[in-house]
Amino acid sequence: MIEKEKLKKYAKLLMFDMDEEEYSTLQEEFDIILKQMDLIANIPDIENVKPMTFPFINKDAKLREDVVKDYLTTGEVLANTKHQVDDQVKIPKVVE
Amino acid sequence: MYRGKNITELRDLIDNQGVSPEEIFKSVVEDCNKYQDEYNSFVTIIDKFKMKARKDTLITGIPYALKDNFSTANILTTSSSNILKDYIPVYDATVYKKLKNAGGVLVGKTVLDELAMGGTGTTGHTGVVKNPWDKTRMIGGSSAGSASSVALGLVPFAIGSDTGDSIRKPASLGGVVGFKPTYGRISRYGLFAFASSLDHVGCLTRNVKDAAIVTDIIKGQDEADMTSLKDDLKNYVDTLENDIKGRKLFYIKEVCDKELYKDSNDEVLMKVLDDFYKTLDKLREEGFIIEEVSIDKNLLEAIYPSYMSISCAEATSNNANLTGIQFGPRPEGVDSYQELMMKARTEGFSELIKRRFILGSFILQKENQEKLFLNACRVRRLIVDKINDLFKTYDGMILPASGGIAPKFSDDSEKLSDRYLILENHLAIGNFGGFPSITLPFTMVNDMPVGINLTGRVCEDDVVLNMANYIEKVTGLKDIYSKVGEE
Repeated sequence: MIEKEKLKKYAKLLMFDMDEEEYSTLQEEFDIILKQMDLIANIPDIENVKPMTFPFINKDAKLREDVVKDYLTTGEVLANTKHQVDDQVKIPKVVE
Repeated sequence: MYRGKNITELRDLIDNQGVSPEEIFKSVVEDCNKYQDEYNSFVTIIDKFKMKARKDTLITGIPYALKDNFSTANILTTSSSNILKDYIPVYDATVYKKLKNAGGVLVGKTVLDELAMGGTGTTGHTGVVKNPWDKTRMIGGSSAGSASSVALGLVPFAIGSDTGDSIRKPASLGGVVGFKPTYGRISRYGLFAFASSLDHVGCLTRNVKDAAIVTDIIKGQDEADMTSLKDDLKNYVDTLENDIKGRKLFYIKEVCDKELYKDSNDEVLMKVLDDFYKTLDKLREEGFIIEEVSIDKNLLEAIYPSYMSISCAEATSNNANLTGIQFGPRPEGVDSYQELMMKARTEGFSELIKRRFILGSFILQKENQEKLFLNACRVRRLIVDKINDLFKTYDGMILPASGGIAPKFSDDSEKLSDRYLILENHLAIGNFGGFPSITLPFTMVNDMPVGINLTGRVCEDDVVLNMANYIEKVTGLKDIYSKVGEE
């Protein structure tokens, strides 16, 4: 079974925490998921297959020209934060 | 008063019988509010009638619902998560813009599994969505509220998103039609990304024609989504009645052979499979050629873990923007931005989402990437290649969308069984390969609906809808909805 400390490390990397009971549930869940993942290893010659990261090649996909078109105003960008100063999002001090 | 009416019926009321879209809107909103406490379809019910005046589309004046993970300017959009509980977007998703420009009338934003990462409809921040056919059962997810609003007959159509089966599974459990076209056929701009290489936009309706009508409106290439496909310039409604004689379909023995489950003592499952084979016989009488094929069980068993691996890995990075800084609830009394993010994310995400993110992070760790992530991507290629190979001979794949009726909230499934891994989770094939895929009701078992799924070749959305239209004629389960609460 995966160690709880490892799970806590991953949570910290993702910048959140859980309580002890939740880590225990996750530990049990990992047990099942890792067993499910082992099923992949049953497939013969899997290592010789090229990984697929996209459903199919879209021949029409192209990057658009880099021209300024629609953009958000400062007011729109700040609309969802209550913490602002001088048209900028305010956060706690970064430099000590 | 307008409950259960489909798009064509509402169109007739507006065009020929003097009923105004505003009158319909008011009545629909009243019904939405009436069933909200009991079924919880909506995060937000719109209170003000708004419609772009035009007369030339089939959905002008027609009410609809939109899953709450589509950006709507000036309308609360929460993705059913506490971390976005007060978020009001400043821009419109392309799908919403297209529906608005076509004269569609938004009546509500629907509940989903938090951030679309779940298949039960039980993890949204505003509570559990209940199945209109039996409220002790779930409707499935993640497009839970979209499915329940259509299954209750409140709206003729709702928009959903589908990463593994999130439109097509709740459609099956709710007795409605759920269609996700080819990957890229509909723009994803403004859809909150879950797993970008698997995410599809689609619709839930009560008949196949309405699914074609809605898809005709919302499809098309979008400069804001570089993965969107060049428009096929087809009108799917026009080809619904094309002759299907000689169309070839296959089903997979390892998914639905009755012999596999004969010792299960599960009467519902056996009835679903019996009815599935009876439906195939009727389809054969209509002119379909349907054959059984065999696929390596090991490969089929690997679909679900591969889906989990790819989707959680993509989700972990896609949701890294939810920091509590630019938007979302900002915790007070913190001394550093790290502490701020830590607290915002700890309080903002539910336990299930955190578990999925940790799994994603684990998969992406350097030491696990080869075995867990890349192998999953390899399984994806193997299964997609296999299906594409079969599509050289066959026009479509037909399977039961699920092996049973909607589960009770208290039910638990054995997550390492073949039934769970294969029969209940094969719909992710449609996402792996970007295939157009539709679920529609085909039988009722213990007064609960069950769906059949049809998946076709990439870019043949018109053919899939055409064949589905014939399946609907054979099942006779067109325009069904739960009449609960009707006098």
